[in-house]
Amino acid sequence: MADTPEAIKKSVRTYMFVGAILFVGTIVTVLVATVPWLDFGRHGFDAADCILGLTIATFKASLVAFIFMHLNHERKAVYWLFGSGLCMVCSLAGLTALALGDPIIDKFFYSGH
Amino acid sequence: MEIPYVVTPRKDTGLFNSKIAIWLFLASEVMLFGGFFSAYVFLRLGADYPWPERTLPVLPGLINTFVLIGSSVTVVFAWASLKLREWRKFQFFMGITVGCAMIFMVLKGIEYNVKLHHQAMKLKDYSVIEGHLGVESEDGKPVLDHKGSTIEENLIFVEASKLTFDTVRFYKPWVEELLAQAEHHHSKVALAEDVTAIIKVGQPAEIIAKAGEPLSVELLNRLQAVHLAARSNNAANRTEALRAEWVTAKAANPGKKDWQIASGVNIDTAALAPTLLGEISTVPFSVDPPAKFDFHPRDIKAAEGQSRLRDDTVIDGKLLASPMVFHNIDAIDFQHLVMKAKEKGIDPEVAIENSWLMKNSAFVREAWAWHQGEVKKLSAELLKAHGVGKDGKPRYTPTHKELYRIGWKDLAKKAEDDGRTKLSGVDAAKEEFFGPNYKARGDETFPGLSVPREQVGFASKFTPAWNTYYAIYFTITGLHGLHVIGGALVLAYYLFFGKKMYLSNPEWLANRVEIGGLFWHFVDLVWIFVFPILYLM
Repeated sequence: MADTPEAIKKSVRTYMFVGAILFVGTIVTVLVATVPWLDFGRHGFDAADCILGLTIATFKASLVAFIFMHLNHERKAVYWLFGSGLCMVCSLAGLTALALGDPIIDKFFYSGH
Repeated sequence: MEIPYVVTPRKDTGLFNSKIAIWLFLASEVMLFGGFFSAYVFLRLGADYPWPERTLPVLPGLINTFVLIGSSVTVVFAWASLKLREWRKFQFFMGITVGCAMIFMVLKGIEYNVKLHHQAMKLKDYSVIEGHLGVESEDGKPVLDHKGSTIEENLIFVEASKLTFDTVRFYKPWVEELLAQAEHHHSKVALAEDVTAIIKVGQPAEIIAKAGEPLSVELLNRLQAVHLAARSNNAANRTEALRAEWVTAKAANPGKKDWQIASGVNIDTAALAPTLLGEISTVPFSVDPPAKFDFHPRDIKAAEGQSRLRDDTVIDGKLLASPMVFHNIDAIDFQHLVMKAKEKGIDPEVAIENSWLMKNSAFVREAWAWHQGEVKKLSAELLKAHGVGKDGKPRYTPTHKELYRIGWKDLAKKAEDDGRTKLSGVDAAKEEFFGPNYKARGDETFPGLSVPREQVGFASKFTPAWNTYYAIYFTITGLHGLHVIGGALVLAYYLFFGKKMYLSNPEWLANRVEIGGLFWHFVDLVWIFVFPILYLM
């Protein structure tokens, strides 16, 4: 993290640049969702639009986390704390998602055994 | 006492204490919002109705995104200013940040307000209309109720001649409301008959209240006290009698299991009768002359002849016409009807033609005919732009929403095609915030519609009650809004009360602002996902 006055002054320019990227990213997201010729995949909202929209959002969120929240040069303890929270969310959401593709019915009722 | 590690980092973690604390908190926040986003995904995948895709106005959400991103930049500038010991600059940037938070909440308030005043109704055939309800009026002037308020045309009217209250469940505010309504109609609500009960064991029944005594909460409370005392006495006596029966039965049947003798254990009701008191579970009141009462649909189970309130008050009387009257309708939606028709194997077009709206509203028929023309145009455009696939069918076709929903922008376009008012500039931008401008566009664009009560399947404002989409929308944005308020309060505290600390220990204040800033960035980070997920997908 920038601590000396010189380093802080330098990082202010980075913050402005990142802010500009975030604004542009937001406009791109809206254009992709609303302008017909920027509509990817099938006509209307579909998986392609969803993936693209969430990819842009993830990129923007990463910029906020790494630059504004200084995660690009933090101590190990912070990575462990924040990372464990993220892992917990992903794994629990993933576990629940398994329910959507319940394999038991196919395996035991439709396999012919 | 000096608090350790507020400026200097601890040796083991390499961080000052509050930074560890905020990251722990943010980790828990990730799990909290992650849980809600997961809930959103599963609600959407499991929805048994057409999910309201891209239904929220984009402009307020977009502006709010810009506002939050801007505030994220200024809060980090404020922190940098403190690090450089530039108090004025800190004040300037932190002031903008707090200002942005206020703008965000004002815009969110407008958005919520529009939703909470916008009516939706699903008919029994699953077609949906949206708009604004009218108020009862006579000779162009609104009719006022007993409280002096306008009467929204979504009430159920009953001409009641008798009210029977449940002495345990009666709801005091409703009793007072019924009394006020009766008084407004110059009717008297009085006991229909004498209320008699045995209130002392072994004594004859006494008159507790005489016929003709006017309805009051005090009277009901008095009857409730008698009823509850009797119920308590009777329950104790019955239990005692049953216990005695069991003792006798067990003595008469040694070695037998309880279940073997249970059928023979019965209370001698004749012997018990003299020990019982009189219970008064319900009390009838007559309404003279019969008066017109109004009720909110959620509070009453209406039926011809006898209706029932949620507190079990029974209303005898004639169910009057209680249509739901839209002063303006601004959307006609057949998506759910089509979904249900397909489930039953019915041709969607046939289902739409047979819907109550198509059969009873000339405007809906006209709008639907116009809409089909628009769908044909769109289909032709898609065919021209993308051609046909290997199977010879058009590669792209209109979406389910484009096929079966006529939104307010469609109705506005139809009116413009017919040569009616076209809004532009500020007026058009205002519509993006506040919804359709009925006044400027006129009743021809958004006409009224009266729907008989028996056709109403479910009606609600655009609140969490309407469907799971609005439930999760209000949950996530409401929780996020609370975070904005909380974060802004903390940052405002540093702005307005931080000078003393700045003069004594500026690095400590810089660290505090960094912590507040981390929370603020997290609030921004959450919104970065909320905006596309709720507004654009």
